Amino acid sequence: MELVFLAELAANGALTGLLYSLFAIGLVLIYKASSVPNLAQGGLTMVGAYIVLALARDIGLPLWVAIPLAAVVMFGFGMGIERVALRRLAGRPIVMILMMTLGIDIFLRGTTLAIWGGTSRSVELGVGYDPLFIGDVLISRIHLVGAAVALLLFVVFVLFFRSRLGIRLRAIADDYMASWSVGISVERGVGLSWGLASIVAVAAGVIWGEIQGVDQSLSLLLLKGLTVAVLGGLDSIFGAVLAGLILGILENVGSTYLDPFVGGGSRDLIVAAVLILTVMLRPHGLFGRQDIERV
Amino acid sequence: MTQAPDKEATNILSMNSVEVLYDNVMLAIKGVSIQVPKGGMVALLGSNGAGKSTTLKAISGLLKAERGRVSRGEISFDGTVITGLPAQRRVEMGICHVIEGRRVFEHLTPDENLEAAAPLSMNRATLKTEKQRIYEYFPRLAERKNSQAGYLSGGEQQMLAIGRALMTQPRLLMLDEPSLGLAPFLVAEIFSIIKKINKEEKLSVLLVEQNALAALEIVSDGYLIENGRVVMHDTAQALKANSDIQEFYLGGGSGTNFHDIKHYSRRKRWLS
Repeated sequence: MELVFLAELAANGALTGLLYSLFAIGLVLIYKASSVPNLAQGGLTMVGAYIVLALARDIGLPLWVAIPLAAVVMFGFGMGIERVALRRLAGRPIVMILMMTLGIDIFLRGTTLAIWGGTSRSVELGVGYDPLFIGDVLISRIHLVGAAVALLLFVVFVLFFRSRLGIRLRAIADDYMASWSVGISVERGVGLSWGLASIVAVAAGVIWGEIQGVDQSLSLLLLKGLTVAVLGGLDSIFGAVLAGLILGILENVGSTYLDPFVGGGSRDLIVAAVLILTVMLRPHGLFGRQDIERV
Repeated sequence: MTQAPDKEATNILSMNSVEVLYDNVMLAIKGVSIQVPKGGMVALLGSNGAGKSTTLKAISGLLKAERGRVSRGEISFDGTVITGLPAQRRVEMGICHVIEGRRVFEHLTPDENLEAAAPLSMNRATLKTEKQRIYEYFPRLAERKNSQAGYLSGGEQQMLAIGRALMTQPRLLMLDEPSLGLAPFLVAEIFSIIKKINKEEKLSVLLVEQNALAALEIVSDGYLIENGRVVMHDTAQALKANSDIQEFYLGGGSGTNFHDIKHYSRRKRWLS
């Protein structure tokens, strides 16, 4: 009985973890192409969810039209943010770029609050909440769907970064000047990465919006997403997936056993510990590129 | 400097009285005129901070990334004025600048470095033969094509930087200090490969070097830049024979004795 309980905790933790990965993939995309940690990814995810809602609930489009359409809109939106807000900062100190992405995040939260208000709304994906047993283990259907989406995006982007366009994005992340010198458009590459990250944000927004409702708190996913991305190595998509699994399982199993001792709230403690220990012990994460220093 | 029209047609690059400003205030080069004949090899010599790299950046358009701009003068490439064009457009036209310090894409493999530089319009088959062509010039790269570029030796990285530039199908290759920090035998190897490419593909080369001795061995012409101005222009033979050049750049002549008033005043004349 105890073992089944543990398995259930681990399985659901793993699924939740993959949902963090789904979010973190967006962070990794932008970091991979421009070495910028995008603090606005939470805001983008929230906007993605709101746009799906606006198209599906307010205009009344079916979800299978609304979600792809939202992806297209958000692709343009992400490229637009890069064009308007970030391009002018290229080459400036990283802290200014970070502050800009933070500012965008706050701006997006404020704007959605003004347009749609703060009431939590449901996406109503229609996945269903009937219990799903695999063996004796109870699994949440929506988490299972989300995890599948995360794995699908993982495969898509791993293939993408092996393509010629993907190689160019990685080249840009390595060296702007060298990229310019061989005719690679750094601006267009970074813009593309923002567009792709915004598409990922739609996927994450829909799944997370279904789980916890669509409101401004969706943007707080950034904290866990960033922890997963840092643990995975910030520029490794595989790292983000594996780190998501690790964090999800640790969090779910750990908090269940720790909560009775500390009186609850150990979930966040575990996340914080993982983030702090990663930065202290392995700053480039599990699979991040190390800065190469030759003697 | 005015030129007869027939001479103009034989130059792939012509730079006339170009001035470069950084941040709108700092004058880095002050009226530089340089010609590179089609299929020719020209060296740009001079000491540290003389304006050699700035000259190359003015030609490749990379100045903009460092907040510099051409404030006066004109640069034309194969008869077209390129002074205001973006860097990307100039690469498409056939100017490729191998920037100082090698700067390979460290986290990519050599193979991916080459692919990154190939124009997206190049089809798969051409890409393959082009990579093959680079590996034939630089067999050392072929041996390590799937290892991470950041872990290659300095010489291999320089070869990769040149190979990567060749993937853009340039007609003018500009090299900024390719010998920097390399052992003499590697410098010799790389220079002989550059010479070979120049001969076999009629690729024009503009070479910036502090290592004047090695550079003057492979080029036909040389310009000497000091303090943002061209102070001397002659054939490589004549430059090698020039006593001032020998003294200041080739390490020969009467030695580098800064107490020698004659030496000092001659150098001062250039710098004024």
